[in-house]
Amino acid sequence: MPQLTAIVTGASEGLGKSFAIELARRNYNLVLISLPGSGLPQLASYLRKNFNIRVDEIETDLTNAESYPGIFNHLGLKSITAHMLINNAGLGNWSWFEDKGTAFYKKQIELNVITPVLLTRLFLEQANTDTTSYILNVGSLGGLFVVPKKQVYGATKSFIRYFTKCLQLELSGSKVRISLLSPGGINTKPELLVMNNRLKGLSKATIMEAEDVARIAIDGLLKGKKEIIPGLMNRFLVVLNGLLPAFAKEAIIRSRLKLILKS
Amino acid sequence: MSYKNLWYGHRGTHYGYCISCMTKILITGATGFIGRELSLALANKGYRVMALCRNTAHPYLIKHKNIEPVTGDILYPDTLKQAIKGCTQVYHTAALAKMWSRNPDAFYDANVTGTRNVLAAAADAGVQKIVYTSTCGVWGPTLNFPLTEDEPRIVGFPIAYERTKYLAELEVQQFVACGLDVVTVNPSRVFGEGPVTDSNTVGKMVSGYLRGKWRIIPGDGGQISNYAYLHDVVAGHLAAMDKGISGNRYILGGEDISFNQFFDTLGKASGIKHGMLRVPQKAIKFYSRVEWLKTRLTGLPPFFLPEFADRLNFNQKYSSQKAADQLGYRITPFDQAMQKTVDYLKQA
Repeated sequence: MPQLTAIVTGASEGLGKSFAIELARRNYNLVLISLPGSGLPQLASYLRKNFNIRVDEIETDLTNAESYPGIFNHLGLKSITAHMLINNAGLGNWSWFEDKGTAFYKKQIELNVITPVLLTRLFLEQANTDTTSYILNVGSLGGLFVVPKKQVYGATKSFIRYFTKCLQLELSGSKVRISLLSPGGINTKPELLVMNNRLKGLSKATIMEAEDVARIAIDGLLKGKKEIIPGLMNRFLVVLNGLLPAFAKEAIIRSRLKLILKS
Repeated sequence: MSYKNLWYGHRGTHYGYCISCMTKILITGATGFIGRELSLALANKGYRVMALCRNTAHPYLIKHKNIEPVTGDILYPDTLKQAIKGCTQVYHTAALAKMWSRNPDAFYDANVTGTRNVLAAAADAGVQKIVYTSTCGVWGPTLNFPLTEDEPRIVGFPIAYERTKYLAELEVQQFVACGLDVVTVNPSRVFGEGPVTDSNTVGKMVSGYLRGKWRIIPGDGGQISNYAYLHDVVAGHLAAMDKGISGNRYILGGEDISFNQFFDTLGKASGIKHGMLRVPQKAIKFYSRVEWLKTRLTGLPPFFLPEFADRLNFNQKYSSQKAADQLGYRITPFDQAMQKTVDYLKQA
């Protein structure tokens, strides 16, 4: 079997880096995309040294309109067909709506919404219809629950949820598999970890390591799972969400909000 | 060269000429596994060593006429200010290097805040150069080839020691950016002739084996780690002070050795052959979860934790090439280093 190629966006740090390593360990060739100056060349050469795979690195700002065709032109020129697309790049926030400026929200919506839609569109255009192609869209449990201080981020992830579910219907007869990854909290930057360590009980149990999320996500994607929710506690929360009546959920969120307002 | 010859050899020119005799050096963590051997090496070279200790009566503190114990704590900047007076060099080896602590903030306090305090005191006192003892744990697990300094970490930071040592390196970078001359050394798993404590994990394994109490090999025994000999690491610290470039990191390692090779060599060195039980990683992981639960419920220290069990799925191979090229770092062959360690622990 010829080696398959996977595109990973936001590959230099956090979950994206874990995807790159997980796929390299599974013998995929990689096309890694990240912002310039984020350490992508170091990661790419490290993976080349340690695995017998081809790694292409593209340093680009995915909020630039030219970056999308640029990526696929690059692949076309090198005669690379991508078999897998991991739409991972995203911009989070944890702030009151009025604390961030318009430029931030524009960037956040571009990166979290426009980028995965357009990359998916261009990926399907070049996909080989004889073999199975895979798309993984990284959503969030935040796309399912209303969480204060995550207003725009949660909304972009709700968009990804709808987009992914709808494409699953449209492409159900084809050889394209699309999965939605809905992780809870992930320990990415160690700076963040100091904060996550302060969490107690239930909130702490929903936080996972990036390498575990990446492994579970790729397993689920290859099995053709429609939605992948890593972690027992997170799956339990989703089930609970389906069972609880609306007023109970409302009460929980309000009490959470009170806690946040106090801190 | 014995220390005695060195001392008598330059006695005639002692006053006013011998640079090393006038140089005052602060060393934090002077009772630690690396720190105590490092203070002895410096004292033998004729330096005046200010050994920072929380307890100057500590049994592991080395008694030597050139080693002056100073009461102090890296968490109390005033004590650092006193201890650092007149010192031109600092070796910051103090750290909390255990697997677990009852107080979860203890790792951050000792390793990050403590490092910041030491560097700030050094900057204030006009110290010329600092060697900071980090760890290969800032990279942790590796893939197929030995890792070098510029290569990335491949997993997250579930282990508090590694996380806080990484954050401490970020502190170091900030001080370097402000012009402080700090060289970072990153030892791998250090072993050798020294006290068997909680942070001396290899020593625990070796002495357990010698007493017939350590009888297991994790997984199939093929997992590879890097083992650094204490005396090599101490020499690496001195060379880093001498030749290290500010803001740089240097891996101070040894040979990459699998568990099977480790216990083979240990068996030969000690002349003791035990039948070893190979325990699958999954069983160790399960046991570690039980230990975690025990600790959660009772507050008793765990023997092993899940984040450490996960490590058994990876190698930890490191290359000391940069230190060899730039510092003249040398690696004692593993079997010789093990022989010395075994001989020491047998009579200890």
